Amino acid sequence: MTISEPLSLKNKASNIGFIFFGLIGILPFVAAFVYALLYSFGLVGAANSGFTTEFWISTWQSGAFIKSLVYSTVVAGTSIFISVSIALWLTLKFRKELEHPILAFAMYLPLAIPGIVAAFFTFQLLAKAGFFSRIAYAFGWITEARQFPDLVNDPYAIGIIATFISIVTPFLLLLFLNVYKNERVDELAQLSQSLGANKQQTVWRVSLPVVLNKTWTLIGLYFIFLLGAYEVPLILGQESPQMLSVLIIREIKQYDLSRLSEGYVVAVIYTVIVTTAAVLLFSRKNDVKHEG
Amino acid sequence: MKANWKFFFLAALVILVVFPFAYLLLLSMASEWRFPELWPAYFGMRNWEQVVSSETGLISSFLVSTGISFSVATMSTFIGFFISRGIAYHPYKRTITLLTYFPYILAPVVFAACLSYFFLKLGLFGKPVGVFVAQFMVAFPYALIFFSSFWGEKTKSYEELVATLGGNQLQAFRKVLLPIAKNMLIICFFQTFLISWFEYGLTSIIGVGKVQTLTIKVFLFIKESNFYYGALSCCLLILPPVLLLYINKRYVFNKLI
Repeated sequence: MTISEPLSLKNKASNIGFIFFGLIGILPFVAAFVYALLYSFGLVGAANSGFTTEFWISTWQSGAFIKSLVYSTVVAGTSIFISVSIALWLTLKFRKELEHPILAFAMYLPLAIPGIVAAFFTFQLLAKAGFFSRIAYAFGWITEARQFPDLVNDPYAIGIIATFISIVTPFLLLLFLNVYKNERVDELAQLSQSLGANKQQTVWRVSLPVVLNKTWTLIGLYFIFLLGAYEVPLILGQESPQMLSVLIIREIKQYDLSRLSEGYVVAVIYTVIVTTAAVLLFSRKNDVKHEG
Repeated sequence: MKANWKFFFLAALVILVVFPFAYLLLLSMASEWRFPELWPAYFGMRNWEQVVSSETGLISSFLVSTGISFSVATMSTFIGFFISRGIAYHPYKRTITLLTYFPYILAPVVFAACLSYFFLKLGLFGKPVGVFVAQFMVAFPYALIFFSSFWGEKTKSYEELVATLGGNQLQAFRKVLLPIAKNMLIICFFQTFLISWFEYGLTSIIGVGKVQTLTIKVFLFIKESNFYYGALSCCLLILPPVLLLYINKRYVFNKLI
């Protein structure tokens, strides 16, 4: 009796924990998805009258979603590719120098800047009347603000990509430096050189594969985060095409009730894509670690 | 020569890193800075003095942000710590952990937009408590993922040792598990504080402009083209994480998920 009492208490506490987890961790996600799904098929919503697939068809035919998906993928992919390249180059080239206390602290500083501040700062630098435009004027390269090239709210998403790179690169640099140290890549590199490999072979066949193999899940995760980024493209993006989150919110928050359902169609597709990506990323490699 | 280019490159890198902070501080102290001037016509403390004395609402936004972020961080850290134990020892740990990622990985703004109907029905729309609940839904899974690496054979054997010596579950937590998890609890608290502190999209949807956190203020000032106050809000937004960095770098950077 004395044994079974604490056990039943323990089970009770564990059950309460799982109920709470279900209520906060799972239920809202399921509820949000089901509501968006029902709305997209016209089954809920003030302006809807019953089951229909017309919103899915019209979303597909308008092409806005496909354009937005391609645009978001290209922007996020380009940003991640450049960020990974810069962070890897800095890791391989300057890892010893970056251990200096001043540089070690400086590397962490960008992490204190949230996306909305980074976007605001980029706008202040790259806008037509921004800081770089003023410098161009001072050097005589332009005589009016409008002669400065479009670097924000531009069709090539230069401002968005620059901001994403400035946000993601510091994270990746710190991550790569940690992996480089923890996986003893230096020792592996020395071993490969003593076995006859040259510098290039050591970098391409030893150092890079070890670092990337240990971090690809996180790189994938950053790609997903950038795919759904909101603040940065909201401030620095253009009217069309827009990145996915901006498009979804524009559709859902508009006053035209008849088009609300199309916003939910995009939200459903986005959720399915992101969830599938999460399953693919984490179902195999679930041994997540932390810097303790 | 080689050492020289490295030195100059790294010096440039440090300048590049410090530049946004310096520029935003400069802009927050500027006024009447029109194109093509390289230096503002006015430079001083006027904007900062107005923040303290006038109706810009920045001080109240700072307090609202602090209150919400503090509550979100406290609740998600402690509840996350206790519930993550059950998940870590569960036979379906992998599946449950995967489910935990879903709300975390989804763009918070989209998550909030799809949930807004339920918040409206529950009377949580446009209220600080609604923003707290919504942010908690994002920070809580993060805490669960964060603590998943804490629980394992080692902690299990500690718990068993306490039980063998006659201690109960509460004593195991108070005397053993919480003390050894102290560092992780602190890091998780600051991480979840920053998740909430930096949050914009979800707050704008659930708060519908009525709950004006600092990130909402920054966006409002940008929309009004009031860049000086925008920069000032940015400075207030950056201040706590910079302080945390100064105290301990690990508080701001965790190898994430």
